Amino acid sequence: MSALPRTTAPLVGGGAIATVVSGLLGSLFLLFLVGPVAGVVGSGAAEGFRLLASDSELQAALALTAASATLATLLALLGATPIAWLLERRSFRGRSVVAALLDIPLLIPHPVAGIALLLALGRVTLAGRGLELFGLHVTGSVTGIVLAMLFVSSPLYLNAARESFAKVDPRYEAVARTLGDSPWRAFRRVTLPLSRRGLLAGAIVMWARSVSEFGAIVILVYHPRVASVLIWERFNVSGLRGAVPVAAVLILLAVIPLLLLRMLRGDEIREAPRAE
Amino acid sequence: MISVEGISAGAGARPLTDVSLVVPQGSYGVVIGPAGAGKTTLLEAIAGIVPLRAGRVHLSGEDVTTWPPEERRLSLVYQHAWLFPHLDVAQNVAYGEAEPGVADAMIERFGLQDVRDHDVRVLSGGERQLVALARALAHRPEVLLLDEPFGALDPRRRAAVRREVRTIYYERRFTVLHVTHDFAEAGALGDTLAVLDGGRLLQQGAPEMVLRKPATPWIAEFVGAENVFAGDARPIRDSSPDWRDGDDLEQLEHAVAFNTGALTLYALGHVLPGPAHAVIRAEEVMLSLGPRTTSVRNQFHGIVSDVTAAGALTRVTVQVTGTPIVAALTTRSAGELDLAPGREVWVAFKAMSVHLC
Repeated sequence: MSALPRTTAPLVGGGAIATVVSGLLGSLFLLFLVGPVAGVVGSGAAEGFRLLASDSELQAALALTAASATLATLLALLGATPIAWLLERRSFRGRSVVAALLDIPLLIPHPVAGIALLLALGRVTLAGRGLELFGLHVTGSVTGIVLAMLFVSSPLYLNAARESFAKVDPRYEAVARTLGDSPWRAFRRVTLPLSRRGLLAGAIVMWARSVSEFGAIVILVYHPRVASVLIWERFNVSGLRGAVPVAAVLILLAVIPLLLLRMLRGDEIREAPRAE
Repeated sequence: MISVEGISAGAGARPLTDVSLVVPQGSYGVVIGPAGAGKTTLLEAIAGIVPLRAGRVHLSGEDVTTWPPEERRLSLVYQHAWLFPHLDVAQNVAYGEAEPGVADAMIERFGLQDVRDHDVRVLSGGERQLVALARALAHRPEVLLLDEPFGALDPRRRAAVRREVRTIYYERRFTVLHVTHDFAEAGALGDTLAVLDGGRLLQQGAPEMVLRKPATPWIAEFVGAENVFAGDARPIRDSSPDWRDGDDLEQLEHAVAFNTGALTLYALGHVLPGPAHAVIRAEEVMLSLGPRTTSVRNQFHGIVSDVTAAGALTRVTVQVTGTPIVAALTTRSAGELDLAPGREVWVAFKAMSVHLC
């Protein structure tokens, strides 16, 4: 059954009043969400772009942020995609417990996530010593930044991937299997192409969230500085005057994936299979 | 060959329970049953898509119970078709193509040349089913499982596609299991017929046998018998049953008097004394304007209460001492008898035509 199309037709009676009230309340809410962000961009973007050309510290922080977020997102694609598929396609004991556990990083304060990672993977722990054998240090290194981003943001990708797989009816895979595909081949030839937009959208959201991560990173890694830590530092040193231009640039960096996401969703709506 | 032994599978509202079924090698088996009978679950269990809780599945003589679907050398066509929406028609048909060129041949056989490059999402329901059939057959399966594959086709095209599938079946002689709720389709296609309801197999045999000797009154009504009467059966000693030479006398062991309402019917069978049902196919009931001078044991005087013509056949309902008996005769015969409501007629049918269950 298809949904009713949205309408721009004039409404009568209670419908019109509800529309006006909803519109007013919605406008206020939109202003609350967008106003502060627009204020930062409006007052700091010009200076931010000027700094972008000359401030090597800002350039390094943005490059590090983007690269770390990209690496964390790639790790999530590799690690979380199979878990998401298993949670959607297989029934096993403790499935709901596993699903709930995987949401924990979304529920705890981000500095707590940083502390938890420090306790689990710090130098004094067995896991930390294991990582150091491979030259990986959780504190004060890019490794720590990537792990903090992965820990805090990957549940967003995982949930998006689960939702994408849930939208692909398992009978597509079943038909592919009866036509000779192994489970992996059916996944690669059918499930992945059919869920790719959702997976990509989840990866974009995760990337954008990783870019803006601060609380968990600052516990593990103050140097090298990612953009959010640089904003924090400049705020402490120079107040709003120093922080706002950098903040404006970071906001614009996060808007790019948001626009990409909207374009993807627009395509998805246009390409949705018709109801039968 | 498809052989399932005591399989139980599926969960929720439509589980299969202890189903056993055999479709001989190279035969066309049909399973009929109402919506929710578990027909699709049966096919999915045979295909290895739905795990079994109990039982074994043999295909082409091999025990495939633990084999994954891709190793069972079968194809499954769903009613919904489940065409891959990211592939065009030709790519769908070629998805599991057994060898180069087979997919193109199937596209031609099913008349899909004009839509071969089309996005499958713009196809009609009937076209989608044709693509699904072509895709399944291009895989060159040893076993073909069909789940109501002609349901979305218009009647003219359905007949043509049925013939084409049947032709390909004769050419390759794979084994088919086709589920449907349409008894006419089952009778037209099947070498063997099984009736499924509520996840249980109720009867299996040749279509003619299921048609003439349904195991239960429910099956009788499901396969289109219009005269199904509840009553009491009583074996009688009768020296003149209306059997013929060559009939299987073991099946005609004794004569039975069957009382339903104010009517007593005579039948032949194994039924024990007590409550039973009598089934008489409308095609077995003869009508005449006067009594017949034959050995037919069941002959009654009645009044026509309804005449319904449907093309070449006309169904006539006759009230016999308060019991409605339906007869099917050619529309031409009905015209010759000038049948109309209120007309007095004689109803006759052989004792052999009364099936007791």
